[in-house]
Amino acid sequence: MRKWLRPAVGVLGFAMLVVGAWFGLVKAPPDREMGDVYRIIYVHVPCFWMAFLAVTLNFACSALYLIKGSWKLDALAESSAEVGVLFGATGLTLGSIWARPTWGVWWTWDPRLTTAAIMLVSYAGYLALRRFVEDPERRAVWSAVVAIIAFADVPIIWYSVQWWKSQHQIQSSPKTVDPQMVFALRWNALAMLALLIFFIWSRYRIALRDRQQEVALPDALPPARTTPVQASGALK
Amino acid sequence: MKAAILPLLLLAQTVSDPASRVGSGRIQGGWEYVWACYAIAWGAIILYTFSLWLRRPDRE
Repeated sequence: MRKWLRPAVGVLGFAMLVVGAWFGLVKAPPDREMGDVYRIIYVHVPCFWMAFLAVTLNFACSALYLIKGSWKLDALAESSAEVGVLFGATGLTLGSIWARPTWGVWWTWDPRLTTAAIMLVSYAGYLALRRFVEDPERRAVWSAVVAIIAFADVPIIWYSVQWWKSQHQIQSSPKTVDPQMVFALRWNALAMLALLIFFIWSRYRIALRDRQQEVALPDALPPARTTPVQASGALK
Repeated sequence: MKAAILPLLLLAQTVSDPASRVGSGRIQGGWEYVWACYAIAWGAIILYTFSLWLRRPDRE
């Protein structure tokens, strides 16, 4: 793969985000109900979309790892989980700030907010598990199982606003929103998508380097099985 | 004369400026929340980029 492609995706993402901030803060019209406060949507919603994409990739890689056992899949799962936590934590923080002027509280145990917080805690636990387990093979298998269980929360988050009474608004449709708002939201989402690709790609390279270093360490290899004959020979 | 063209001027402004079509919203102000959100989002993205740069494989 050409060396310039990865940084180019990152630069493109940052450039698009600068233009996206202008679309969101200046160009898009204010909302009929929320006035200018709604402009938080242009960073809050793309952050969560990217978090969902990242954890979906993590789920796919984890499930495939259990079938194929490829270290590359394990490295990609680790990378996507870390980036998913970054975007999820940012999205949840922005949502909390948005709640203050619109709902009057920083936090409420609303179904959407609660399930999103559960997702964040689950994937933070996933990353912690990866730190605690030293044996690479056990770590990969255990974390893959945890990732599959944690992913069950993602569809619940998505449908929580439809299944239960939630203060959080339901998913907007382009038909009900001003075209300039839709364009600004899509532009910012594309900018964050470029950054998501850049982040996961960069983190994947780091994870692969870590795997190679672990395999190079003698402790990381499974212990050599010695027969009684060999053992007695060694004693001689 | 001025009163006669006023509706036309308002119409032209409405067509050119989408913001005037919907008003400024029930919630007034709140820009400090908007700036805080953009600053946090940008801050998180920049800090994570910096952490990736510090951990880059070709550093060693």
